Amino acid sequence: MRNIVKEIECKFSDHDDFFIEEELVDKTAIYLIGFNTLVDLSKSKLYVQQMAASSTSINALFINLSGQINVDSEQIIKAVIEGNLVIFSQDGEENAVVDPIAQNLRSSIAEPKNESPIYSSLDAFGEDINMNVGMIRKRLSTERLCHSSYQVGELEKRKLSVLYIKGRTPNSLIEKVNQQLKQIKSDIETIDDLNKQFGQRRLSPVSHLFATELPIQAIHSLKKNRIVIFLDNCPFALVFPHLLWDMLGSVNDRNFPFILSFLLRIFRVIGAVATLILPALYVALVSVNPEVFKTDLALFVAKSREGIPLSAFLETIAMVVLVDLILEAIVRLPKSVGPAITMVGGVILGQAMVEAKLVSNLLVIVITAVVIASSAVIGMQNSLYIRLLKYPILILASLFGILGVCMGLFFTVIYLASLTSNDIPYISFHIEEKGDTK
Amino acid sequence: MTNRIQIGIIFIIVNLSFGYLVYPNLVYGLVKIAHWEVVICQCFLQMILIWIYIRGLGYFQGNDVIDIYLKMGRWAAIIFLSPFVINLVTLVALNIRMHTEVIISIFLPRTPYWSIMILFFFISTYTAIKGIGTILRSSVFIFFIVIPLVVFSFFTSVVNFDLHNVTPSWYSPHKFLSNVKFYYLLGFSSFLFLGFFSFDKKITFRQLFVSCLGVALFFLSVVYIPLFIFGQETVVTLTTPFYEAMDSVDISWFSFNRQAIFFGISLVGLVILANAVMFWMIGRIMKKMFTFRTVKSSYWIIAFSVCAFILAIYVPNKYLIEKYFLWCTSAQAYFMIIIPFTIFIYGFLTKRGNLGYEK
Repeated sequence: MRNIVKEIECKFSDHDDFFIEEELVDKTAIYLIGFNTLVDLSKSKLYVQQMAASSTSINALFINLSGQINVDSEQIIKAVIEGNLVIFSQDGEENAVVDPIAQNLRSSIAEPKNESPIYSSLDAFGEDINMNVGMIRKRLSTERLCHSSYQVGELEKRKLSVLYIKGRTPNSLIEKVNQQLKQIKSDIETIDDLNKQFGQRRLSPVSHLFATELPIQAIHSLKKNRIVIFLDNCPFALVFPHLLWDMLGSVNDRNFPFILSFLLRIFRVIGAVATLILPALYVALVSVNPEVFKTDLALFVAKSREGIPLSAFLETIAMVVLVDLILEAIVRLPKSVGPAITMVGGVILGQAMVEAKLVSNLLVIVITAVVIASSAVIGMQNSLYIRLLKYPILILASLFGILGVCMGLFFTVIYLASLTSNDIPYISFHIEEKGDTK
Repeated sequence: MTNRIQIGIIFIIVNLSFGYLVYPNLVYGLVKIAHWEVVICQCFLQMILIWIYIRGLGYFQGNDVIDIYLKMGRWAAIIFLSPFVINLVTLVALNIRMHTEVIISIFLPRTPYWSIMILFFFISTYTAIKGIGTILRSSVFIFFIVIPLVVFSFFTSVVNFDLHNVTPSWYSPHKFLSNVKFYYLLGFSSFLFLGFFSFDKKITFRQLFVSCLGVALFFLSVVYIPLFIFGQETVVTLTTPFYEAMDSVDISWFSFNRQAIFFGISLVGLVILANAVMFWMIGRIMKKMFTFRTVKSSYWIIAFSVCAFILAIYVPNKYLIEKYFLWCTSAQAYFMIIIPFTIFIYGFLTKRGNLGYEK
């Protein structure tokens, strides 16, 4: 009689947190099935009892409790894995999938961890995909906000949600993204796994997706004709396509008067350009083209390098790598140890290396400026790829001097200009094309 | 995707890259006084040709030059366009070589020229392979990096001006119009690439008018800045008058010793893009002309850039480069006249033919 119950019990024999509880309702037994790590059993029991008290029969109870009644065993297993409570009648003929009182496994809405916006609301996206979509819906109440959800992957079906505003986002773009997401065969574990689905950028440091933690930023992107993708258990809104402008302007800037936000953005442009060319310019001006300076300046530069055994390129690349190592180390370390590294790094870089005549004073200033400048751009991934792109320019500068610096800069510009995601160029500032409102 | 602002910008960039070095020499050789008449006449002639070209292209909506020649017949395309490709290859080779020489004299007097040429060829070819979209988009950014430097160099050179160097400024008998060398100048106004975009919308002459004016202004200043600084007698003896003019400027409050580095930097950006445009044209012509072999246009571009590189390396000295470059631009001038006119006439005829057929 209880074949199906036995079958499910057999299936979950390797799972110690699996439970089958017998419960008496109206003098007949029912069975509650689920994972006690996902379902709060005692509260759920109470909930079922209360519902039973107000229901006239088992059947009525099942209807009151759930929308999914009498499903087949495969769906039951899926429901149990997803953390639902399944109720069987005594004979095992009838069942119902119930949304239980779940164990609290999620953190609630918190402040952003990877971005620190000023003059802005401080809610950040969380782990739960429904909560994230809800946060967008709550802030953008229009019927034109569309939501299509997908379940992709091989081992586990991971939930994906795609949001866009009908009439704003180009229809061709929506269709293409739709197709690309449907074609996903492999597991999506990280953001980069998803990024790979949007086409050829295997070796590119620039992603197709811009990750943001802030609902305002996501909504702004939606309004600017873009698509926002949510991945289950990933506390970011992934904006597609990623544009160069994401690095330079955020919506929070516009809380200031126009002239101030313009100023902020100019500073970010300066930051990005300085990160790219400052170390290269140092190498070029010190070792290859010292003659372009006026005499007193050239002498000053030469004096600061007096007695330093390393070549300009070697000392610069050593310092740049060291600084990038420190930045990486600070991220990895627990918060209590982090300051120690900062202090030791500061002492070594700032004083010891200069006093030991290993690197010049000027270089320390240049490196400090670069670190500060690279942090001025918006988004950690943008800061990282800008930091990466400075290396080729540095190498070109050591070979060709100033010519190498500007060649490298032009090459970087051309490279960024060649990037497109679904035919939308990376360096376009906004997507003009609008979709139909139909 | 092709935006008219981007087309205007790339038009300016290509013209700028050609105009910097040899153009002033030709003008100085042509007349002794009133150089502006030459420049204005040349720009006027260029505008007329562009107008004819665009009218001609307007007869064939959505087609580029190659399509139109293919419509005339495969042989017509091969006869007209293969010399054009050869011309383009030599032009690229000599252009890069000539600019490399100048850049070496500005930045790196001890570096061998082939190493710098490899860099130029590599970046130009890469840009061309990435396609016209990349060229147009990057042109906007490079334009905004380069043009301030160009303008800055122009304005700083004012300190050395001597107004007496250019008087008298009016000279009425326009003898230069009958001089063949005047038509060499036409080779510097490269507008043929305009016909290689496949437009969704019709390009009109009005859209290009501002760019044409900008280019005319630029040509005027390129000719007149060395003239203001050195005077006609000195200028004819110089090999690269504009570079010498830039190098003569010295501003006391500025921390850089030589003004010429800004000129050099702007040259780099312009040369890369102008050559990328030419490589792209070559790739497009070859791909459309030889459809029986399905070779990707990027392979054509790489093959021809290797040819151009070998050609550029084998030119022995600076004197010969300039001589060949002049030949090349005169050949270019020939194409600039022949291609717009054939397209205009063919378009006109087919249109009339169509009308006759409809009746």
